[in-house]
Order: sequence, then structure tokens, then C-alpha cells
Amino acid sequence: MPEPLPDGVMVEVLRNRFMGLVRELGGVIRNAAHTVFVKETADFGAYLVSPGGEVFMAPDDMGIFITIGTPMDTAVAAVDDYREGDVYLTNDPETSGGMVTHLPDLFLWTPLFAPDRPRPVAFAFCFVHATDVGGLVPGSVSPSARDMFQEGLIVPPTRLCRDGELNRDLLAILMANTRSPELNRGDLRAQMAGLRTARRRFRELIDAYGTETVERGIEGVLAHAEGQARAVIAAIPDGTYTFSDYLEADFGGSRANPVRIKLDLVVEGSELTLDFSRTDPQVPLALNLTTHGKPGHNMVVPALVNYFRSRVPDLTYNSGMMRPVRVVAPRGSLLNPEPRAPVGARQATMFRIPEVIMGALARAVPDQIPACGGGQGAIAFVAAPEFETGINRVSILQPLIGGSGGRPEADGTDGVDFVAGFYRNIPTEVLENDAPVLVERYGLRSDGGGPGRSRGGLGLDYALRVLSPRATVTCRGLERFHFRPWGRAGGEPGSQGFARVVRAGGEVEELPKIDLLELEPGDRLEIGTPCGAGYGWALERPPELVWEDVLDGYVSEAAARERYGVVVVDGVLDLAATEALRARLRRRPPPDFEQGPERAAYEAVWTDELQDAVNAAVWAYPAGIRGVIRERLQAELARCLASGGVDPAAVPGLAAEIVEAMRGRLYR
Amino acid sequence: MAVRVGVDVGGTFTDFVAVDEAAGLSAFKIPSSADPEEAVIEGFRRLLAGGGEVALFSHGTTVALNTLLQRSGARVGLIVTRGFRDVLQLRRLRLEGAPGFHVRRPRPLVPRRDIREVGGRLLHDGTEVRPLDEAEVVAAAAELLAAGCESIAVSFLHSYRNPAHERRAAAAIRRRFPGLAVTTSSQVWPQQREYERTEVTVIDAHLAPVLRRYYDRLEAALRELGVRATVLATKSSGGVTTAAGAARRPVETLLSGPASGVVAAAHLGRRAGFDHLVAFDMGGTSADIGLVVGGAVHTTTEATVGEFPVVMPSVDVSSVGAGGGSIAALDPSGLLKVGPRSAGSRPGPVCYGRGGSEPTVTDAYVALGILGDLLGGEMELDVEAARHACRRLGERLGTGPEGAAEAILQVATATMYARLLPLMARHGADPREFALLAYGGAGPTHAFRLAREAGFGRVVIPPSPGTFCALGCLLADLRADFVSTVYADLDRVPEERLRAVFQDLRREAEGWVAEQRLEVGEVRVGLSADMRQGGQSYEIPVELPPDLGPGLRERVRQAFLAAYDRVYGDPDRSGRVEIVNARAHVIAVTPKPALTWTPGEGAEGRRRLHHAGVELEAVVRARAGLAPGERVRGPAVITEYGTTTFVPPGAFVEVDGAGDLVGGFDA
Repeated sequence: MPEPLPDGVMVEVLRNRFMGLVRELGGVIRNAAHTVFVKETADFGAYLVSPGGEVFMAPDDMGIFITIGTPMDTAVAAVDDYREGDVYLTNDPETSGGMVTHLPDLFLWTPLFAPDRPRPVAFAFCFVHATDVGGLVPGSVSPSARDMFQEGLIVPPTRLCRDGELNRDLLAILMANTRSPELNRGDLRAQMAGLRTARRRFRELIDAYGTETVERGIEGVLAHAEGQARAVIAAIPDGTYTFSDYLEADFGGSRANPVRIKLDLVVEGSELTLDFSRTDPQVPLALNLTTHGKPGHNMVVPALVNYFRSRVPDLTYNSGMMRPVRVVAPRGSLLNPEPRAPVGARQATMFRIPEVIMGALARAVPDQIPACGGGQGAIAFVAAPEFETGINRVSILQPLIGGSGGRPEADGTDGVDFVAGFYRNIPTEVLENDAPVLVERYGLRSDGGGPGRSRGGLGLDYALRVLSPRATVTCRGLERFHFRPWGRAGGEPGSQGFARVVRAGGEVEELPKIDLLELEPGDRLEIGTPCGAGYGWALERPPELVWEDVLDGYVSEAAARERYGVVVVDGVLDLAATEALRARLRRRPPPDFEQGPERAAYEAVWTDELQDAVNAAVWAYPAGIRGVIRERLQAELARCLASGGVDPAAVPGLAAEIVEAMRGRLYR
Repeated sequence: MAVRVGVDVGGTFTDFVAVDEAAGLSAFKIPSSADPEEAVIEGFRRLLAGGGEVALFSHGTTVALNTLLQRSGARVGLIVTRGFRDVLQLRRLRLEGAPGFHVRRPRPLVPRRDIREVGGRLLHDGTEVRPLDEAEVVAAAAELLAAGCESIAVSFLHSYRNPAHERRAAAAIRRRFPGLAVTTSSQVWPQQREYERTEVTVIDAHLAPVLRRYYDRLEAALRELGVRATVLATKSSGGVTTAAGAARRPVETLLSGPASGVVAAAHLGRRAGFDHLVAFDMGGTSADIGLVVGGAVHTTTEATVGEFPVVMPSVDVSSVGAGGGSIAALDPSGLLKVGPRSAGSRPGPVCYGRGGSEPTVTDAYVALGILGDLLGGEMELDVEAARHACRRLGERLGTGPEGAAEAILQVATATMYARLLPLMARHGADPREFALLAYGGAGPTHAFRLAREAGFGRVVIPPSPGTFCALGCLLADLRADFVSTVYADLDRVPEERLRAVFQDLRREAEGWVAEQRLEVGEVRVGLSADMRQGGQSYEIPVELPPDLGPGLRERVRQAFLAAYDRVYGDPDRSGRVEIVNARAHVIAVTPKPALTWTPGEGAEGRRRLHHAGVELEAVVRARAGLAPGERVRGPAVITEYGTTTFVPPGAFVEVDGAGDLVGGFDA
């Protein structure tokens, strides 16, 4: 056994060893998993986990980048007789304590033992987003699911393997409840192979360094990340910073009110609290996010991880950085729903939360936070019957994400946003081989980026025709069709997303968010994703940069003139004319947060106070019925608002009346 | 007397290895020049000073690589299918690495202003939906040239399946602008996936004029020196081609340096009796790691060069930012980090005495007493300065200078481990079954340490490890790769079509060898395919039997099932099987120099040094004085031109008949 190492050396040595191990685990899964989600959208994860359930290492170069803070404590504690070689499985958000957040994510784990310890020294975890786990729709994710039972088979933590014996009963149940048994079987096999490798490597590590050193290393890397995070938090001025934003959630043309995510971000010394107490109650749609209010929950904190990483480029990548981060989300609310609420499409929520956090952080450290980005991680699918077999074949069309917001030091990223940055696109040449479609445009939305000293990143412009009758397109997670990404520090909002069909006859139909859309040959579907907002005043953008954008066609000559005050004629920059025009346009600088007219108009009617009153009034009723009451209350309020106004103080009474009326109808 | 000359043109040094059937192997390094061909010519002057004739000249060069990294090649105008102007900007969307808010997307090699769309459109099966308007193409090219573009690249959707539109576009442009360099994607690399294919096409168009100039000058200057041998150049695939071929398709030579090292490792490893090897090339700024499995160099179609993916088959080399010049420093939170910052060759490590002040991996070895001088004594080292730098680091770690030096080496080794193991896992390889073959200036010094950490049982130090890539140029065979995307259900594709695809590929491959007009030995064409089970989205490489006669589809299917079984186990035997890409590679074996080992004079001595916290007395041997069969037990230091081998206590090396040092650990 080598002599003990100084702490700073031991931690760095073991950090590298852990990283090698977890990358190997992830690499085995990536290579061997069967589902298209692994290869094309990188929807899988690998983790090394401490006995306390903290992720002490995750790959930072493969799979999803939302691993930090995944709460494994409940899953770890679900078993009390771990043995060498055991493998466990769950996909249940409830009994896994928020480790799993929707059913297609099949999590597996195995204990890692040392010869001189009776209990596991660590655990290796992994998940793959399975192609299908049953439920209402192929793929098991439907935004309009009403409860979790419509979303597929639920498996609480269960043993999959012991003493080299596979639990064949469990496997049979799993395979009987999926539309894609072969793919799922392959995924499980890949995951088990990865965990096997992790067990072997961990044993080598114990042999090389000794159990005690490895244990110290686990705590050492966690403590190191914690220290780095605390230093970043401590540099934020103490205080409470409030921000809110909305999920539009009106797919399929529903008229429901948007769902408000409201955050009070509290900084005290080196601790940070994300208080979502004033966020809307859970919804009767699959947008709920099961966090159980776990501290630093991985689906809540990605913006914080990005922020920490921006401040500390070689941040140690593990859950230690979330030790100072508390999450407050009352049971029954959007971010901590009651058991068995529908959760499948929670990714829309997961992509909005970072913007709310960035907005709140921007109030604390304004010059360190970008403007708002496209904020969606939608994935479009097409299903069409195969001529040869008649089978309805489903293919991923594209991940449809937006551009990022402009940044204090740079323009936004075009066509991709920070939190959605792990998606890969599908080559058009592959897609057209796999599905009966003809893609007519896949590019960037010129002129869509919010003007600013730093321009917002451009969204995507996507247009396709189907070549088969009875083709259907689904797209979950489209957002920001109404409320624009907000500008910062004088920057202007980005353009909203849209979807429309140009029918074979030439008529244009503007679409609401797509739930399920039928297309016929000759129809052209056009989708635009939201563009990032600008940062800083557009009139202060260096004219040369505007000119470059004009040359590249990201900004038109007209927009350069009108939005930036920059005169470009036939590709030539006229500096004198620019100066004169800018002097004319420059009046007062725009506000720090520019939300756009749509949100201003909405909030002029549905004031913050009124929304708080609605939430308070419905909170008294059980979660299962709360959503219905809320919808009716909002409908009633909308009528009142149209014919005058509403006193928020009258809302509880109105709610009681509605409930009474509902009860009355029951007994009539 | 006729010599074979291998040259590796690197950033800092240009390495020469000359093999003379009578006099054996000699090697030297000279500083690289601003115009890279000048150092090559300078070396030849030195080599031919005493007369003699060059029988073969093969070289690897970083000219293509540096041109791409500095983006100093031709300004390329790109013409694409309407609707796809942003193909280079979008890439595959994904941001590499978990992002912070400062993340930057790579700037495309061709900015959007130099990209034009035209209207022709093909379907995935190659049929035409919209005709190509040649006048529109010519107008687009004219605009681009007027804007200042120097060469034109053309990349249309589905051209891998039907190159007709691209060919017509290129022909129309050439008719209008005779002599203009026009590159089409179907000609560069006709493989499905528009982003990757377009990227290699514009890289090729960007590099071509620079490489043509380089090879023209080099060949002219060599002719003047009386060198009549054909100039050969190594490719990323580990093979060689003629200078003319390399100038025609420079994108294939981007990774030629590291590739030829791995090729040499495979060749010499096989000779020393090792089929499974990790080639470990540790130089000044990084360590490059390549894999040899069953005697064959591992190639990949997912290489990355700078910020760009290159999908042609390349020797699979992973780079870790830990080399001799990597700087060790405490980060703000007190963690010891080694690399990726490097002192490079200027100022270089502290011990070079050229102004470096932060300790490097090389300084750690000097402070421990393991390294004394460099380049066989041509370069003195400042031992006291290195010790001082380590002492200062040690004060902050709470150790002495030796403790700090030891810590630097531990961290550097762990950093390599973190990259090495996932790489090996990707190929299902276990270090215990592999030998570590080490070269590069720092490789032999660090090899035993890495071997112990990662669990390698054997270590091999080949002859001339300091100029190993140059030697590799002499050992590489002629090689070329060909691809054709088929994208079909194996049961539905007519067998004749399948046969025709492979026959065409084979014909192309054999034709390529004939075109090289070189004397070669055996010519082997290997056929393979990228295949998958129906409904799955990833392919596995499948080697195919050479027989293209009746029953081809069934043989292809069986080959796939066997390969699938090896990779994942348990294929669905009744399921659909899809064939995505058909591939061929051709290898024409070049005559190999006979490398023999004749021991000469070599001084012996003893030296005090530190290892793992213990002070030891080690044997110091000059490698030149080691005789075949001799066994040297650690602790020992073996010195030679260009590198130093350190054998720690508990380890040993034996000299084999070819002069390799074959090492291991005491049981």
C-alpha cells in the first residue's frame, strides 16, 4: 500500500480515477444501448454515488448534462440487504424519491463493495430513456395524460439480479408492458454490462489505494465541489431575489391560463435557497415535476450548475456543489406534485425553470447573467404507415430547441441553448431514409434574434412535406408561442416560436402548439423555434458587428437600420449615416428586463396579486380536484375581467361558490 | 549504399530516421523551420553529405493540420442544396461538454456569406425531385469568386447516393472558370450525413492549394539534391500514399504524424511478440494513446481534428493534455492540477533554463534525479532550478521537493488513466492483456508508472523511441479507403445491386494501387460494411468475406450476426438487417527495412534518485551498450538520444534480438 498522499494530491488523483470509471460506465452504455434516444439525443446517464446518495462523479462529456443533484438517497435506502453483484431497477418517481422524474427513464444500480467493509462503500447508477414503457401513446409521453397510470408501467425499486441470476419474472413483466421489448431488452443488457465494468474497476481502485483512501476520496471530491460552489454563492450579495415566468401549456388549442413558475431566490452567506412556494399548484397535465423538494434537485438546478461553471471553469463535477442549495416546493405544487400526478412531459417545465433562476440571479449579479434564451427542448416525431408492412413507423424528426440569450460578453448561441445543449440533431439524409418526409428547410431564423449590444441566438427554421398519406406529427415541449424570451440590460426580447401548415391548396393555417397533427402529401409544415433575447442596448452594438451580421444574412439591411440604427446599403457600411441615425433614435435606454408586449398585456389583467389569490383559494382543496376547480375559477374570472374588473379579495368567495355549484351538480 | 529515409515534420522538431541495410539505423532531430519543407531539405543535405542514394522517402507532416488549425488555407465558397445554407453553422447542434454561460460554438470554416443555395433536389434513393439549374450554379460560383473566394466546394443532399447533380454543377463551374479548384462532396467522401460530409469537403478545399504548393516545392528541392525516390506521405489511416495523392486529398493526411507512430508500434510490437498493444506517445505538450488489437491498428470514423469531425477512417488516437512540458500548479481551492497548460518548447520546463518558473512533469523527473540531461547529452539541464520549483510547490503541499515531484507524477498518471480506460473499454480491451509500448521524448520515462497504475503487465521500449513516428513512416504500407452508402434492407436489396456496389469498391481500390506506380508486395483488399438490426439507429462495423459470388446476401447476414453477437451478444436472428455503408480498404505491402540491433560501446554508472518517497541508488546504462539477452533490474536509468527509460524498483527490462527493451514487473 502506498504511503498517504497530501489531500490536494489525493483528491485530484482520485477525482481522475473516478472520472475514468464513470466515463467507462457511460461509454459502455452509449455503445451498447439500443434505443434511438441514446445515439441521437444522448438521453442517458451514468453516476457514481456515495452511501449517502450523493452523485460524487458523473461524466461531463457524454449523455445528459443534468446529472448534478440527482437525489439517489431514497433509492439507496430502499434496499437493506445489498450483496456483491446485485442490480436494482426502478422507474418510479414516487418511491425513488424524485430520482426518476418520468417513467421512460429506467434507472439501474449496483452496490460497490470493499473487502473490509460490511456495507457498500459506493454505488454505480445509470439510466437510459427507453423507447416505450406502455401507456396511452407510443413513446409513453403524452402532454395531456391525466395521471401517471396513463403513462406506462410503474416499477418501484426492485431487484433485477442477484448471485448472477436474472429476475426473469420482473423481466417478463417489463417486456409484456412495452411496445418495444427488443429495444428495452437491449438497453437493460447494456446497462448491466456497464454496471459490471464499474464493479470491476472499483475493486481495482480499492486494491490500488485502500478502502480508507477511497472513502476519503469520495468525501474529498464532494467537499471540494461544495467549497467551489460556496465561494461562488458567497460572492453573490445577500438578499431575496424574485422572478417569475410562464409555461404556456396550451397545446392542442386549450384555453387554460399559462402556468406560472415564481421563484424567491434567497442568498445568505454561502447558502442559497430556491423557494418555489409561490409557484402554481400541480396541473392536470403531464407537466408536473416530481422533486419531492429534494435539496439541489437535478431538474431544478441546471442554471445554477451553468452559473457555477461559468464562474469556476474547472469546477469539480458532482453533487457536492449542491450541498449549499435548498429547494422549497410545497407538496401539491407544480414542482412537487402529489403521488401519481402525470409527469411525462416535465421537460417543458425543466427548460423553463433555468430561465426563472437566471432572471432571479440577474437581479443579484446583473452583469454575469445572459438574457433569456429560446427555453424549449421540444422533440418532433413523425408516424406514417410503412407501405411494405402497414406498420405505423415512428421516427424522431428533430430536437427543436431555440437560440440562447445574448450574453454580457458575447452574442447568444445560434440554434442551441445552454440547458438543451446536450441534444444532437438528426441528419436530414438519415431522416429522409427512415421516414417518408422531404425536408425543405433546416436552418436558422434570420432577423429572429432579439436585438441588443449582444444579439440573441437565432432559433431554428424547419419546413417539411410528408410523402405518405395519413402521416401524423407530434411535438412535445413547444413553448413561447406567446410570451417572448425576455431581454436584459436594455436588450430586446427574442421572437416567439410558431407552427403553421401551408396546405396543398395554398391556404395557410397558423397552428397552436402541436399535440397531434395530421398531414397529407402536398402539405408543408413550418416550425420556427423561439430566438434568444438581446443583452444590452442595440444602439450600442458596434456597427461592424451589425454589418457582419448583415453580410451573413443573420440580420437584414432593414432590421439593421430600424432595430440597430446601422446603415448598410448593398453590403457597404455607412458609418456617418449610422452615427446620424443613432443620434436620432437614442432617447432613453430600455428597461433592465424587457418582457415584450404580450406578457405585459397579460399581467395587466392577471395581476400578480390576482394570480396569488387564485392559488391561495384553490390550495384548500385536495390535489386531485384542485386543477378542475382552478380551471373553472379562472374561466369565471376571465368573464368578470372582460366585463370590468375583479377584486382579488373576492376570489376565495368565488372559488367557494364554484365548488358548491360543482357539488350541487353531483347530487342532482 | 541506398538508405530509406523516414521523416516526421513536427511543430518543434523535424525528426529523421535513416535505415541503411549495411550500417543499420540512425536518427537525428533538427529544429523545424517556418516553411516546413526547408527543415526537410536541410536534413537531406546533412544525410547526403557523405554521398549515397535515397531508396525510399516517406514522411508525415503537420502542414495540413497546422493549416487547418490556423485556418490559413484557401478561402472557400460553398454551394449547397436550397434550405440548407446553415449546415456548417448548425453542425450536429450538441454543445460539447457541459456548458457554462461562456460556451462558444466553433466558428464554421466557411462563413455564411460564402455559402449559396441552389435549387436541384434528390430524394434519398437518388431520384430527382427538382432538376438542377446549371445557370443558377454558375451564377452562384461567380458571386462567390467576385466576393473573394479562391476555391469552390459543392455539397448537395443525397449526393452519396447519386452524384449526378454535383458532377454537373462542378463541370458547369469548370467550363465557366477553367483552372478553378472545384471540390465535390461525392468525390471527397461519398458517405451519408450531410454535415460531416460537407465539413470534410470544405476542409479539403481549404487545404488543397497549400498542400499542393508544399509538395511541389519539396519535390523540386529534392530533385535538385539528386533524390530520385518518389515522395511518400503518411495518412491519418496509418497508410502511405504518393505526394501527388496527398496533395489531391489533403484532408486524409490531417493526423499523419500520430498515425504513423501507432503503425510502427503495431509492426514492432508484432515482431517483439505482442499482438495487443497500447501505443503511448508522450511528448512535450500531450500524451497520445492508440490501440493495437490482434496486431491490427484500431481505426475510427469519429476522429476530431481541432474543432471539426473527420469521418474518414483514421487511426484512433486519443490525446491527453499531460506531457513532459505540462505545468503543475495548485488551483485556487488547493487541488494539484497537471496540464493542460504547457510550457511548450519556449520557455520550456524550468530545467531548460530559458525562463520557465512553474514546475513541469519533466522538472519533476529532474528533481527526483531520474533525468540528468537530454538529447544524449547535447542539452544540459538545470537540476537546481527544477528542484527549487518543486520545493516551492512542496511548501504549499506540506512536502519536500521530492514529495512535490512525486505528487506531480501521480496526478499526471491519474489524468492519463482517466482518458485511457474509457478508450480501452470502448473496444472491450482489458489492460492486463495488453503491453504498453512507449515512445516520444517522455514516454519511456513515464511508461512503468502508467503501466503499474493501469494494470499493464508488460512494457516495450522500441529502438529509437525519440524519433519513432519518423520510423513509422518507413514501416507503413500503402493504404486507401473507399465508402459507398447503400442504406437498404438486406432482404429487399437485390443481390446484384449489393454485388455491384462491392465490385465497384474493389475495382476502385485495386485501381488506386495501380495508379501509385510503386513497387509493392502483396495487395490485399478488405471489404466491410456498417450494419444494424432493423429499427435501431446505430451501426456496427462488420468485416465481410471476400467472396462476392452467389449467396452473397446470406454471407453478409451471417457476418453481421456474428459481429453483433461479439459486440452485444444474442442477436435477433429472424429480425430485419440493414446495411448502411459498404466499405473497402486496400493495403499494398511495402518492403520493410530489416532492423537489427548491434550493441556498441556504452558507459555504465550509478546515480542516487528518489522514487515513491524512497531514496535509492540506481544503475545508469547507455542503451547503446545493452546486448541482446541482457536483463536490467530496477531501479535503473537507461539513456539514449532523445529519451530516457526509467525502470523502477520491482521492475525489469530485457533486451530482445531486435534491440527492444521488453519490461515487466517482478511477481
